[in-house]
Amino acid sequence: MRFDLNEDQSTYATFLEQMLAAPDTGFQPVEGWGRYDYGTALDAQLDENGFFDAAREEELGSVTAALMVYEAAQVPVCIECAASALIRPFLGRDVSRPLAVVVDDAPGAIRYLPQAKGLVSITATGVRYADLPEGAVQPVESLYAYPMGTVDRDALDWTALDVDTGDLRTLWQVAVAAELAGVLKAGMDAVIDHVRERRQFGQPLGAFQGVQHRLATAAVEIEGARLQMLKAAQSRSAQDAAAALGYVQGVATRITYDLHQFMGAMGLTLEHPLHRWSYRAKLLRADLGGSSASYLAYATERWGAA
Amino acid sequence: MDFTWTEDDAAYRARIKDFLARELPANWDEIARHGPGSPEQTEFSLEFCPKLAAEGLLIPHWPEEWGGAARPPWEHFILGEEMWRAGEPRGGQYMNVNWIGPVLMKYGSAEQQAQYIPPMAEGKAIWCQGFSEPGAGSDLASLRTRAVREGDDYVINGQKIWTSYAGLASTCFLLAQTGGAEGGRSGIAIFLVPMDTPGIEVRAIPSLIGHGDIHEVFFTDVRIPVSTRLGEEGEGWTIISYALANERVGIPRYEMGSAELDSMVAELQRRGQFSDSVVRSRAAAAAAACEAARLQVYRVVDGRARGAAPGNESNLARVAVVAAEQAVTDFGMDFLPDGFSGSDHMSMLSHHERAIVTGIAAGAAEIQLNLVARRHLNLPKGA
Repeated sequence: MRFDLNEDQSTYATFLEQMLAAPDTGFQPVEGWGRYDYGTALDAQLDENGFFDAAREEELGSVTAALMVYEAAQVPVCIECAASALIRPFLGRDVSRPLAVVVDDAPGAIRYLPQAKGLVSITATGVRYADLPEGAVQPVESLYAYPMGTVDRDALDWTALDVDTGDLRTLWQVAVAAELAGVLKAGMDAVIDHVRERRQFGQPLGAFQGVQHRLATAAVEIEGARLQMLKAAQSRSAQDAAAALGYVQGVATRITYDLHQFMGAMGLTLEHPLHRWSYRAKLLRADLGGSSASYLAYATERWGAA
Repeated sequence: MDFTWTEDDAAYRARIKDFLARELPANWDEIARHGPGSPEQTEFSLEFCPKLAAEGLLIPHWPEEWGGAARPPWEHFILGEEMWRAGEPRGGQYMNVNWIGPVLMKYGSAEQQAQYIPPMAEGKAIWCQGFSEPGAGSDLASLRTRAVREGDDYVINGQKIWTSYAGLASTCFLLAQTGGAEGGRSGIAIFLVPMDTPGIEVRAIPSLIGHGDIHEVFFTDVRIPVSTRLGEEGEGWTIISYALANERVGIPRYEMGSAELDSMVAELQRRGQFSDSVVRSRAAAAAAACEAARLQVYRVVDGRARGAAPGNESNLARVAVVAAEQAVTDFGMDFLPDGFSGSDHMSMLSHHERAIVTGIAAGAAEIQLNLVARRHLNLPKGA
C-alpha cells in the first residue's frame, strides 16, 4: 500500500504537468459562442511524446494512464485522452487516435467523434472496432462542452476484436471516472480562486462558512473519487471500477450545482472557463447508465446477482 | 502507487483474524452489543488484552525497550482495523496502546514510565481522558478545570464531561489550567491522576449510545503530588498535539461500517428482500462511501509509514469516515428499520445505537470541515 509515485511515474507526471501548463492550453473564449476548445496543439504534443502509451509500460502501467486522464481533464481546452490512454493500449492491435467509444450501443451523439479516427464499441457480447472514413461523421451542436458527433453505425466496417469485453468495460469505467473526477477538481479549483478574491459584505465569499463547508465537502469527495479511481486502475477489477464510477457520478450532481452557485452570474458566461468543466461533468455523470447503474453492477460483484 | 497488500501484511491480517476467531467467546455478540465504552466490554478487555499481549499482538508497534517489537505502522494499523471490525474487544485499552503509552514514553518521568507503562503492556490498565468540559468541547483550549500549586502538591478543582471509561478507569489523563486567569493553550498542563484520589466523583450520564458509556467527572479539592504532572506547566498543548498526531486517523469506523453492511445485506438476502434495484444500489452507495473513506485513511497511514510530515489528509479522512458511517446507518434504517428493536440483530442494534456519535466524538465534523477549508483549500478566515 503506497500512495506516492515511483520514480518513472514521477518523471512522467513532471513532464505531463509541464505540457499541460503550456500557454496554448489556457482558457480562450471561442468565437461564435463556442462551448469547447479542442486542444489540437496539446493533443499533438502529448501524442508525439508517447504520453498516451503509459499503460503499455510496466513501470508506469494503467494507474499512470488513469492519472493522465485525471490531469488532462483539468485544462480548459479539451483533448481526447480517456480512450487513448486506457482503451487503445488494450485493443490488441494498433489503431489511430483520437478514438471514440460507445458502450451498449447507446443512442445519440458520441463525444470526440468529430476528431476521432476510429470508433470502439463495447457491448456484453464483444468489442468491435471501425475506422471512421472521411466525411462519415456528422458534427452535432450540443450544450455539453465536448465536440459531439453522430455516424451511421450500420454503415461502418466493423472488426471484432479478440479481447475480454468485461476487461474493456472496466477500463472504460475507470477512464470515465478519472475524467469526471478531473473536471470536478478543475471546476472546484476555479471556484476556489473566485471565492478567495470576490468580496461581498466586507469579506471574501470564501470566508463564509456556508461556502467553506460545501467546498470542503466537495474536496473530500473528489479526493475519495480520485483514490478509488486509481485503485481500480491498478486492480482492473469490475467491483473496484463500479464503486469508483458510481461514487464520482453520485457526487457530481451536487458538486456541479455548488460550483455554479458559488461562481454566481460570472459562471453563466462563456467568458469564464467553469462551463468547460461543469458541462463535461453533466455528460460524464450520466455515462454508462449513471451512478445507479454502476452501483447495481457493484452490488452484483460484491453480494451476488439479484 | 500500489494499492495491494504485501504478503507480510496479508499474512499478519490473517493471523489476527485467526486469533480473534479462536479467542472471542461464544457470547461475544452479547458483550459487544453494549459497545467499546460499556462496563461489560471494559471488563472483558481485562481478560482479553492479556491474551493479546501473550500473543505479541497488544503492543507490537512499541519500541523493544518497552516490550514491543518495533513493528511498522502498517501492521499497527491493520491490527486496529481488525479489532474494530470485530467490535473492538480491547475496549478502551486501544487508547493506551495507540497514544497514552507512546506519550508517556516521550514525555513521562522515569517514575511515571515505570509505574504506568508495564500495566498497559500487560493489558491490565484502564484509563480515561479528562479533556472535554461543559464549556470546552470543540474549543478544547478554553477548558477551565484548574490545578493550583501548593508546595509539593497541586489542588484540582473543576469538571470534566463526556468522559468515556471513567466508571472503571484507574487513571485519568487530565488536562487542567495552571496558568494565569487568561487561560488558553499556553496555560494547560497534564496530570496523571489516580481515580481513587479523594475528591473525585464520577457520574454516569444516561445516553443514547449505551449505558455506562459517558460520564461527568467532578474534581473537588483533589490533592495530588507534583510528581503526577506529565511534562512541564504550559507544555500540555504540545503534548496533546503529539498525542493526536499519533492518533491521526481515529477509529476505522468505515471498517465497522463495511462489516455491518455485509451483515445487513445477508439479513436482507435471508428475507428475500435484496433483489430490488433501489435496495441494491443504496447498499453499493454505502459501500463506495466506505471505500472512499478507507483509501483516504490509508493515505494518512502511508504518509506516517514513510515518515512524511503530517499534512491535511487526516482532516479530509475524518470527514470521509463520518460520511461513510452515515451512509451505512441510513441504509440500515431505511431497509431494516426493525434493527432498532428487539435483540435478534445485536450487531445491527449496537451499530445503529452508536453511529450517532460518529460526527461528534474526537472533534466535531464541522471542525474538520473548517480545517479542510482553511488549511487544505486555503480559504480566507472570516471577519
